[in-house]
Amino acid sequence: MVAKLKTFADLGAARTCAQAKRNKAQTVTMCCGTGCQASSSQKVAEAFKSELAAAGLVDSVDVRLTGCHGFCEQGPIMVIDPANILYCHVTPEDVPEIIATTVRTGEVIDRLLYVDPASGEKITREADIPFYRAQDRTLLGQNRRVDPSNIEDYIAIGGYSALTKVLGGMSPEAVIKQIQESGLRGRGGGGFPTGRKWEQCRAAAGEEKYVICNGDEGDPGAYMDRSVLEGNPHAILEGMLIGSYAIGANQGYIYVRKEYPLAVSNARKAVEQARQWGLLGENILGSGHNFDVEIARGAGAFVCGESTALMASVEGKVGEPRPKDVHTVKDGLWHKPTCLNNVETWANVPMIINNGAAWFAAKGSNGSTGTKIFALTGRIKNTGLVEVPMGISLRKILYDIGGGAANGVAIKAVQTGGPSGGCLPAEKFDLPVDFDTLTAAGSMIGSGGMVVMDEHTCMVDVAKYFLAFLQDESCGKCVPCRLGLERMLEILTDITEGRGRPEQIEVLEDLGDTMAQTCLCALGRTAPNPVLSTLRYFRKEYETHIHDKSCPAGVCRSLIRYSIDPGVCTGCGACLKACPHGAISGESKKPHAISETMCTRCGICTDTCKFEAISVC
Amino acid sequence: MQDHVTITIDGAKIQAVKGSSVLDTAMEYGVCIPHLCHYPGLSEIGACRLCIVENVVVGKSKVTTSCTLNVAEGMVIRTDTEKIRRLRRNIAELLVAQAPNSRAIQDIAVRCGVTKVRYPFHNDNCVLCGRCVRVCAEMWQAKALGFIGRGKHRHVDFPFGKKPDYCKTCNTCIDICPMTTIPCIGPMKKGEERLCGSCEGQLMMTTNITDQCVWCELGKGFQCTRHVQAAGAM
Repeated sequence: MVAKLKTFADLGAARTCAQAKRNKAQTVTMCCGTGCQASSSQKVAEAFKSELAAAGLVDSVDVRLTGCHGFCEQGPIMVIDPANILYCHVTPEDVPEIIATTVRTGEVIDRLLYVDPASGEKITREADIPFYRAQDRTLLGQNRRVDPSNIEDYIAIGGYSALTKVLGGMSPEAVIKQIQESGLRGRGGGGFPTGRKWEQCRAAAGEEKYVICNGDEGDPGAYMDRSVLEGNPHAILEGMLIGSYAIGANQGYIYVRKEYPLAVSNARKAVEQARQWGLLGENILGSGHNFDVEIARGAGAFVCGESTALMASVEGKVGEPRPKDVHTVKDGLWHKPTCLNNVETWANVPMIINNGAAWFAAKGSNGSTGTKIFALTGRIKNTGLVEVPMGISLRKILYDIGGGAANGVAIKAVQTGGPSGGCLPAEKFDLPVDFDTLTAAGSMIGSGGMVVMDEHTCMVDVAKYFLAFLQDESCGKCVPCRLGLERMLEILTDITEGRGRPEQIEVLEDLGDTMAQTCLCALGRTAPNPVLSTLRYFRKEYETHIHDKSCPAGVCRSLIRYSIDPGVCTGCGACLKACPHGAISGESKKPHAISETMCTRCGICTDTCKFEAISVC
Repeated sequence: MQDHVTITIDGAKIQAVKGSSVLDTAMEYGVCIPHLCHYPGLSEIGACRLCIVENVVVGKSKVTTSCTLNVAEGMVIRTDTEKIRRLRRNIAELLVAQAPNSRAIQDIAVRCGVTKVRYPFHNDNCVLCGRCVRVCAEMWQAKALGFIGRGKHRHVDFPFGKKPDYCKTCNTCIDICPMTTIPCIGPMKKGEERLCGSCEGQLMMTTNITDQCVWCELGKGFQCTRHVQAAGAM
C-alpha cells in the first residue's frame, strides 16, 4: 500500500523515485497488446523473465510489458534499449539466444530482424524502420515507454505533470481556452471542437455534471482506442481529470466494450492505482478538486458508441439513442450536463496542457490540428496502428507507412471511417486526411479505421457487407434506419445475385439521401455512406453487375463461373480431391472439367491448383 | 397565465405555449403534419420520422422531427417544402411497403403523396410505432409490453414472451394500435398487396394543392383539426 500523495511536492518526489527505479543498464520492451498476445507474446515475456533470473541479469535488465506498439503485422515485437534493436516474430524458443547474445554481448541476431520488403535489407534499429520513421507518434509512442499496470511508469515519464500545472495555477476558463486554441477536435468521428464542447458544458445550468470517456469502439477494422486504453490508461485518466476540473464535474465514467477484456482490466487497474495514490478521490493533491471515475462495461451493442445510447446504457437502460434536440452538454447522463469525449481526445489533453496549444496547433492542416491514430487493415503490407499529423495525404499513409499492396495487386480503394464512412478510390489518394476534406469527398475520418481494398474486392459486395453489419447493429427504433437498411440490403442482394434492374440505382440514391437526412441518430444518418460513396466512385461496377450480370472482381458467387484451362491443367487431381461438392471430374493425367450445376463457387479448387489452371470469369 | 413564445410556421407568425412541441403547436393552428408514433399524452420517441420539418437556424435548415422539438422564441419552421415532401413521401413509402394491410398506413401513404411503391411488399403486422408500449407503461403503469431485440429482430412482446399477471387486460394497446383497421379494399393476402389508393379520387383533385387533406380516417385518431371542427359542428 502506498501513501496517498497529498501535495504537488509529493507527486514530484514520487516522480524522482519512480525515475530512479528505471535506470537499469538495459531495457527490454515486449509488446503485450491484444495483437501480440494473440501471437503468444505473453509466453515470450514469461520465458524471458525466467531465463533472465536464471542468468542472474535481473538487476541490470529491466523487462517491461507494454501496450500495443502499432506494428501488429510483425508481432510479437521486442525492442532492446538503449541499442534500439527491434526483433519481430519472436518466439519463446528464441529467448535463450537473445539473452546469450544480444543482452550479454550486444550482438544482433540477424534472423529476427525486420526485413524491409522494398529494399530487401535487414534493419536493426527500430527508429530506422520506414513504418515508424514516417510517423509522428506523440501519443502512440508513449505506449512503448510505460507498463500500463504500473502507475509509476507513467509518472516517471512525466505523467500527471499536466494535472499539477492545471490544479496548481490555471483557472478552468484558462484550461478551456488552451484546448480551444489548440484546435483539438473530437477523435471519435464527429470532429466537434472539444474546447467548445467543454465551454458549453461548463456554461450549462446545474450543479452536478459528468464527464464520460467513450471507449465503445466497434468499427470493423479499427482498434486505436483499444490500444490506448490497454497501453496508456493513465493518460486518459489525466485528461479526464483536467476536463473535470475545467467543466466542474466530480464524477466520470469510462465506457469500455466488453469485447476488450484487456482494456477493461487495464483501465480498472489504472483507476484503482490512481485512487490509491490519491490522484482520484477527494481533494486531489491538496487542490480541493474532487473527482472519481467508474468503469462502465458495454454489453456488445455497436449503437452504444452513439452518445445518447451510451448514456442510456450507463444509466442501466436499453442502449437506444434518443432525439438530440437538446444537446447532451445540457441534458446528458441522468439529465445532467455531460461532456462525452473519445479515448484519443482525452489522451491528447495532457500533452496539450504540457506543451501548449501552439505546439498542438502547429501540427496538422487548416481546421484539423494535431496527430491522429489510424488503424491500417485489409490488403496492405504493414497492418497496424499509425499515428500521423492531420492533413497528411492518404498516399503517404498507404504507401510510405503502410508499404503498399500486400500481394502485388494494385490498391483500388480505401474505406475510411468504418461502416459509417465511405470508400475513396485510388485517384483520391492525394487528398489530405482531415475532417472537412474527407467529409466533402463523401467519406469521413470517423474513428480512424482504414480498410484497404485491392482489385480482388468487389465494391458492391463491400457495400453489402457494411449494410448487413449496420442492419444487425441498428437499434431498430426509427423507421428510415430499420426499414431503409432492410430495403437497401434487399436491392444490393438483388444486384449481387443477378436480379438487379437499372432503376434500382436511383432508388438507392434517393433512399440513401432520405436516410441521411431523417434518421434519428448518427448511425442511421451515416449508414447509407458505404452505398452512396461506392455509387459515387464505382458506379461502373454496379452497372456491370446490373447490365452484364458479371462481377469484375470475381467475388459475387451468383455472377461468376470457375473454369479449368485444358492447356494448363496437368490432371494432377488435386482439385478433384479438394472439391467438397464433387463438381470436378476427369481422368488422371488428363485435363479436368468443372460441372457448372454442381459447383457452388467456393473457390477451394483455385486455392489448391498449383498450376493456376483454374480461373474465374 | 401561460407563457408564450412567438414562432414562425410556414411564414405565419404564431403564439405558441412555452414548453409545447412544434407538432402540437402546428396541429393546434391547423397545420396538419402527418405523424404516426405521436399520441397525445404519451412521451415522444421520434420513431416514425413522419412529422419531420425544417428548422431554420441562422439561414441553415436542419431536418428534425417536430414531435421532439420544443418551441423556442424566434424559431422558424417549414413544414411543407419540396424537400420535406420528398423525404416524407419516401418514409411513408417504406412504411406502406412494410405493412400494406393497415388502413392508417395506407392513408398516410396517400396523404404523403405516395403513388408508386418501388420495393416488393412485405406483409408485416407491426411498424414498431411503440404506441402500445408507451400507453401500457405511461398511462396504465403496467409495463406489460416492451420492445424485444435489436435491429431487424426488434418486436413488441410481453416480458419473456408470456402474458404477465400485471397486464390489466385493458385492451388499450389494441385500441391505440394503428394497425388494427384493414384498408377499405379488404385484407390483402401475400402477393396481392398494393397501394390501396381508395382516396385517390380526392387526391387527384388536390394534387397541385399543397394541402393534400383527404380527410383521412386516421385524422380522427390524431385530433386533426378538420375532424375536431367537423365533430364540433355536428
